Amino acid sequence: MSRLSVFAARLRSLLLRDRAERQLDDELRFHLEMQIEDNIRRGMSPREARYDAMRSLGGIESMKEQYREGRGFATLEAFLRDIGYAARTLRRNPAFTAVAIATLALGIGVNAIVFTVTKAALFAGFPMVEGNDRILYISSGRGCCASYPDFEDWRAQSKSFTNMAIVHGSGRLITDKNGFAESYDATEVSADTFRLIGRGPLLGRDFNRPDEVPGAPPVAILSYGLWERRFGKDPAIVGRPIRMNGAAATVIGVMPQGFSFPQKQDLWVPLVPTPEVRKRDARDTWFVFGRLAPGATIASARAELEAIGRRLGDAYPLTNRGRNLIPYVQTFNEFFFFGNENTVYWSMWGAVGFVLLIACANLANLTLARAIGRSREISVRIALGAGRWRIVRQLLIESLMLSSAGAVLGGGIARWGVRAWEVADKGPGRSSWRVLDYSMDYRVLAYLIAISIATALLFGLAPARRLFRLDVNGTLKDGGHGASGGGRGRHLSSLLVGGEVALAVILLAGAGVMVRSFLKLYNADLGVNTANVLTMTINLPHAKYPKPEAQIEFYERLSKRLEAIPGVEGVALSRNVPTGGSAKSACEFSDNPSADAQSRPILSTLTVGEEYFRTMGAALLSGREFSNSDQAASNPVAVVNRAFAAQYWPGENPLGKRLRLYDGKTPELWRTVVGVAPDIAQNGPMRRDPVVYLPFRQHAAANLDVMARTRVPPATLAMAFRRAMQAMDSELPIFGPFTLDTRLEPNYWSKGLYGVLFLILAAIALLLASVGIYAVIAHSVSRRTHEIGIRIAIGGTAGDIRGMVLRQGMIPLGIGVTIGLIAALGVNRILKSLLVEVSPGDPVSLSIACGTLVLAAVLGCLIPARRAVRVDPVVALRHE
Amino acid sequence: MAKTSNDPAAKAEVLQGTLVLLVLRTLEALGPLHGYGIARRIEQISKDLLHLNQGTLYPALLRMEQERWITSEWGASENNRRAKFYSITCGGRKQLEIETQDWERMRATIDRFLGSLA
Repeated sequence: MSRLSVFAARLRSLLLRDRAERQLDDELRFHLEMQIEDNIRRGMSPREARYDAMRSLGGIESMKEQYREGRGFATLEAFLRDIGYAARTLRRNPAFTAVAIATLALGIGVNAIVFTVTKAALFAGFPMVEGNDRILYISSGRGCCASYPDFEDWRAQSKSFTNMAIVHGSGRLITDKNGFAESYDATEVSADTFRLIGRGPLLGRDFNRPDEVPGAPPVAILSYGLWERRFGKDPAIVGRPIRMNGAAATVIGVMPQGFSFPQKQDLWVPLVPTPEVRKRDARDTWFVFGRLAPGATIASARAELEAIGRRLGDAYPLTNRGRNLIPYVQTFNEFFFFGNENTVYWSMWGAVGFVLLIACANLANLTLARAIGRSREISVRIALGAGRWRIVRQLLIESLMLSSAGAVLGGGIARWGVRAWEVADKGPGRSSWRVLDYSMDYRVLAYLIAISIATALLFGLAPARRLFRLDVNGTLKDGGHGASGGGRGRHLSSLLVGGEVALAVILLAGAGVMVRSFLKLYNADLGVNTANVLTMTINLPHAKYPKPEAQIEFYERLSKRLEAIPGVEGVALSRNVPTGGSAKSACEFSDNPSADAQSRPILSTLTVGEEYFRTMGAALLSGREFSNSDQAASNPVAVVNRAFAAQYWPGENPLGKRLRLYDGKTPELWRTVVGVAPDIAQNGPMRRDPVVYLPFRQHAAANLDVMARTRVPPATLAMAFRRAMQAMDSELPIFGPFTLDTRLEPNYWSKGLYGVLFLILAAIALLLASVGIYAVIAHSVSRRTHEIGIRIAIGGTAGDIRGMVLRQGMIPLGIGVTIGLIAALGVNRILKSLLVEVSPGDPVSLSIACGTLVLAAVLGCLIPARRAVRVDPVVALRHE
Repeated sequence: MAKTSNDPAAKAEVLQGTLVLLVLRTLEALGPLHGYGIARRIEQISKDLLHLNQGTLYPALLRMEQERWITSEWGASENNRRAKFYSITCGGRKQLEIETQDWERMRATIDRFLGSLA
């Protein structure tokens, strides 16, 4: 039996389909004519003869179908024909097609956006790094960091990694020939870091071993961004000398566009292992990365490093022994994303899943309505011999075509949305330091295809199920309406509406608590007046300002110079801006001395300059603030805040009490409390921790924030501040100037971003759900025009009719809202870790969620209800 | 779908198998014939014994043509109409031989089976 000849014959007939079809018609017509003639010859009447001939041939259409299936590649050919038919059907219903595609595009689009974003955070690795899923982060203990000698030992002893690199973040100040200094994010990297991650420079050369020998001439590799911004893409940049941290250095290369490692970086310099660096216990901000060897897994690498760690613990008990120093291997996601951030991504994914389900429910309802409307057409086709499967396949192909169109459009929406997310995720200033891979790669494409097929099946199968119950005879006799519209179809569509209402309620409730939580955070009173403040962070290099006296002198001169700038009202010094955090030290009270180090409370301390509280708009509750008279040599003093006083001296007057802080294990001098300050949110917008304030002259610091209250918009003074700094010391690394509001933004932007995102998703859900209700009710009203006409004719009032229509919508709405509310109470608990002072079952958010939905749904019902009321009984009845 | 086209035996084994045999034998005996002619001929010979569902004839002819047991050609019919004439090929004659043997063997088996029960 020659398969090949069959194949060839089928291929031919596929290509010459029209001709084959004509020939089949000819052949069958010939057969019929011959039979009819024979029958007549045998004495039948022409009519009888024709009828007999048709009957003896059996169902002509189904035979043709069978013939076609034998003729060519049945499935493919039928598929092509179905596509053509589906395209015609869809083109005939432009309104339905447009609504369906738009709904799907929206649903699929948000899914693709969130998939891309989630992929970047949870599954992808470092962008633009070769085999980035094999690049792992290794630290001493589960937290962070490692020491340089640890790194050397791990690298030498481990077989699970082909190589390791160590990097260390540090600022670098680049001065141009005009003496204008700007500080950049630099990372010191071991020489083969870029080789480890498989990315070489775009221009120039990579670092080599000789670059990291102590005493080697300083070199730097620039990021593309820095090359562009600072050096105007100078093609002759390689070999160009620059001044970096006050010393001469040479640019040896530029990295490709978009590349950064391990975080957002402006430039890279070699990590030189000086004796200072090589201390075993110096586990500062050193990050070790390794490339997993072929065949090794994260688990095997973890086990191996743990064993190495134990050996090192035995070899260096003083610095390497201890459970929290056992090396630990982390993935990109574990390194960059912490607990509740993962929750955000998973819940976003859940949320878009809900949106897509709502979209599916809507479409299922629309197609169901159409299927009911098409009962007659479909019954005719079945009566003519089309198999039910054939019809189901036809409907599924229609759904698939819609969902593919939706996917294409949704892909476009996603492209735009991911870009918008990328911009939003960058955040203000330098708050987002992560580099994430937002590329829409083959995985996104596969996901798009998968969800569009799943979607098509979901909404295409609902009407298909009905087909198997379709009573062909009944439908044909009935004229295609009436019976088939009611019963099961209406139950199913009510069920779908109820379901989408429930999902929308869950989304609205989730968005509600997220937004409310953001508002709480945003509206939280920080305890200071944040308007009109310009800030600048200064870090005095130890080499140039080694002594506290020099630091004090510098900041005093700077304050005077800044105060002299027109528009400046006052200048305050502080170790950190409000919400920016504080130092911690153990504290002891003179009226309750604790000899035992364990029992001393660990408290927040903040060094501030004179007039700090007045300048920040936080007038003292009692006592005085630090002044010019609190010199290093004078009586040590402190100011405590209200939370401190309430916790440690409840009901007592704190003024005159004495306390002392500990620098590690060494006690400092006893300080007298001279003032009580109001609570300022120093450790975070929602925190009111006890804080001890120390006068700047008695507790000098090299690193201070200068905050100036201005009479004019603060940003307008930025240039004047820069010039003042340049005049003081042109090679000082400074951060800013920024307005205080800009500095505070990082507190809010991520919560704001998530809140807005959930709100957008909830809004889409709300829109889809109310459109869904509207469509179902409108469709039912249009089908029941006849019935409504009768009701009006026999005396039904407008109120009756309106009530009848509304009731039909209210039942699924009520059930949906109830189920949604119950589910929301559970689902919101997932968001708990993201919420600020809002409970997951927050009644305000939940009632707003339900209220909004009910309002939108009632609106959706009212429009068709009005139409129902306006039905003219005469027209409606004659219509029949 | 695919089942009925690739494996006609699945639906009605004997009938389908016999149909091929009958068609090939008819074409061998009578020379080129159109579909209606084949149907008439089969019915004439076996009038009371076999009722041919004419609807199955054309798909079977198609299949036999794909297998190259028969060929077809458009030509003028006895009453001068355009009709498709089928004729048996070499492969068809071989197939007829095989089918005939198969049928004989089957008949012998059934006979033996019925005989042994008696």
